[in-house]
Amino acid sequence: MSLTVKERNRYITEILNGTYSSLKAVVPINYELSKPKLVEQSIHIQFGVLIGITGDIKGKLVLDGQTSIFGSVGETMFGMPLEGEMLTSFSGELGNMIAGGLSTNVAESGINIDITSPTIVQGNTKLSGYKKALHVSVNLENVGEMGICLLLD
Amino acid sequence: MVKVLVTDDAAFMRMQLKDNLTKLGLEVVGEAVDGADAIEKCKELRPDLITMDITMPEMNGVDAVKEIKKLDGNVKMIMCSAMGQQNMVLEAIQAGAQDFIVKPFTFERIKEAVEKVF
Ligand SMILES: [Mg+2]
Repeated sequence: MSLTVKERNRYITEILNGTYSSLKAVVPINYELSKPKLVEQSIHIQFGVLIGITGDIKGKLVLDGQTSIFGSVGETMFGMPLEGEMLTSFSGELGNMIAGGLSTNVAESGINIDITSPTIVQGNTKLSGYKKALHVSVNLENVGEMGICLLLD
Repeated sequence: MVKVLVTDDAAFMRMQLKDNLTKLGLEVVGEAVDGADAIEKCKELRPDLITMDITMPEMNGVDAVKEIKKLDGNVKMIMCSAMGQQNMVLEAIQAGAQDFIVKPFTFERIKEAVEKVF
């Protein structure tokens, strides 16, 4: 059963808002958001984390940014500098916590989604295979910029 | 000393949990990376308590709780997951978990869960 355009748009709005609230709950850093942009070309990522979304709406949530940004977020949250494998593992877990919070938030609006374990994406990876993609820049106060991409199947 | 098996696919989370549980005077006797691994390590290590993540690559935490309950009715289990929707919490508790911690957690929340269980 495919979604009507109206339902699909409601789901997208709920998922974006659910992601912002989750980010606020997980990361104790003030941030400013850009307006969501429709991505027309393919997406290239140097470093990021990808979480699969299944259930009422299918797609992927991707957080991307420089490793140093993920490192600063980890240091703010856990009070210790992170490097190497622990930084990679933290980055995956950050994606998991944000997507987990998102799934909790949208459940309150009657949207049921499940999430997959995070996949770390690195080294100029091209993301493809989606029908629609939205990108939002998150400017984390005194830390820098992180991107949120919502890719819909 | 209470013996604990920590289950999470993220090494970073296992480290956090281990630190917090050790500070509470518990002995972390093992770490499992997914549900299937938790079942194996539970048989091998016979822990008193298992912390259980939900979203993991091989067998999710709720299914692992169900299996472990069949193996050992006495072992206590505390879920520790990023997903906190009501149906998920209910499913885990019905499966046999004693408490449900939503990530990110504080030391106080871990302490409260451990005190509730023992
Ligand atoms: Mg996990």
